[in-house]
Amino acid sequence: MSGTDCNGCEFRDDLLYDDEYQIWVAVESEDVLRIGMTDLSQTIAGRILHVRVRRPGTVRPKGKPVATLESGKWAGPVPNVFDCEIIEGNHAVLEDPSLLNKDPYEHWIARVKPLESLDAIRARLVSGEAARKGYCERAVREDIHCKRL
Amino acid sequence: MTKWRLLDTGLLGATENIAYNQALLDAVREGQAGNTLRFLRFRPSALIGYHQSPRQELNLAYCEEHGIEVQRRITGGGAIYFDETQLGWELYTTKQAMGGADMGRLAERICNAAAEGIRKLGVEAYFRPRNDIEVGGRKISGTGGIMDGDAILYQGTLLLDFDVERMFRVLRIPAEKISDKNLKAARDRVVTLRELLGELPPLEEVKVAIAESFAEHFGMDLAPAPLNDWERARHREVVEEFSSPDWIHLNERPREEAPVLQGFHKGKGGLIRVSLWVDSARDHLKQIWITGDFFVTPKRAVLDLEAALKDTPLDQVPERIRAFFADSGAQWMMLGPDDFIQAIDSAVAAREAAV
Repeated sequence: MSGTDCNGCEFRDDLLYDDEYQIWVAVESEDVLRIGMTDLSQTIAGRILHVRVRRPGTVRPKGKPVATLESGKWAGPVPNVFDCEIIEGNHAVLEDPSLLNKDPYEHWIARVKPLESLDAIRARLVSGEAARKGYCERAVREDIHCKRL
Repeated sequence: MTKWRLLDTGLLGATENIAYNQALLDAVREGQAGNTLRFLRFRPSALIGYHQSPRQELNLAYCEEHGIEVQRRITGGGAIYFDETQLGWELYTTKQAMGGADMGRLAERICNAAAEGIRKLGVEAYFRPRNDIEVGGRKISGTGGIMDGDAILYQGTLLLDFDVERMFRVLRIPAEKISDKNLKAARDRVVTLRELLGELPPLEEVKVAIAESFAEHFGMDLAPAPLNDWERARHREVVEEFSSPDWIHLNERPREEAPVLQGFHKGKGGLIRVSLWVDSARDHLKQIWITGDFFVTPKRAVLDLEAALKDTPLDQVPERIRAFFADSGAQWMMLGPDDFIQAIDSAVAAREAAV
């Protein structure tokens, strides 16, 4: 299920989010999570020119970015909200970063192995109706109107 | 009015300077410091953008031979040569303090304020998308930023004086060889306060003009204050991290992946020559120079077209050229967008023939 009722920003209710709705997390298995950016984040970034994901095998503690992005004027980290190890970056995205602007939920940025229990991670992330509400509140509070390429 | 610290870190080497970028941004993010306007200067340095490869962007042997420090910025954008003849300015603040999340508009507001500061010195400087400040089409300042959570750093350069030939030797630009013709082409694309004013203005005067303009635009209550202990301690850590070759060579790509391609097209309006610097791995135009014997009024329209084509996927180049012509308002004598598109196609075709 998805909706575009929050200032035109798409929300997906089958994903987990950080409390600022910068990233989404999808659970592939107990040992593999996929991380991507939200419609809010891709809109704020603008047309993305570069994406860099840390080398496979790199351990990223909570707070250190899993990836960095660059648009015409700004660079910025893709934040990490739990301890993890990088499995791989998404080659399609690394080759054509604008995929993140076109459909941020269909293109993950990195696959990672969590170094904390899934329960601990779930407890820190937001999901479902609470996430939809928080996501919309941020769009309204910061007056973010989503745009796709 | 909002309180802002005015910080001047003077003349430093590249590692020290870039480490302050990280330390001061971290301080804002962690609530250890408030808003800051910083001025800075560099000993001769070659600075690549965060996502760039030093081998691909710089002539490393020349840098080493001439004691030019190579460093990676934490901000995006292209490689630059920075020395004592340029002034850097930087804003450290939060998205919230700057009025929201529209980062494109914020960058534009900052660039417009910087341009107005430069105009106070008596030159006609204006913001040119995406991130230059130009005078008569020639670049006098380049800018770029980084955001980390709510914290932001936006920075720019200002050319007071400039050694174009040295820049040419340090950076790779859309030309294969250093020749008089290419040096002239490089000179035609940048301009300095010394050239515009006929003499070098006192550095203090330049800083005051820029600080006043930022203060007016963003309601800053500016007061000089030093670095705090948290920032000094963080700076020491970051200097260590950024002194490592792992940081500088974080992103290495083969030089051959970014060739310079030449092309031309002869149409009714004359001969158009193009020199393209492309990222072959990503089919992306990094930079272009357009020369030849054709006529356009005003002449700067050619430089503006070059700026509009910077960092464009090759398949979107024709569309951008058409959009530029539709909006430009310049008088192109017997020339249309297709003439430029054909010149670029001929350069790209030469690459394909070589593969």
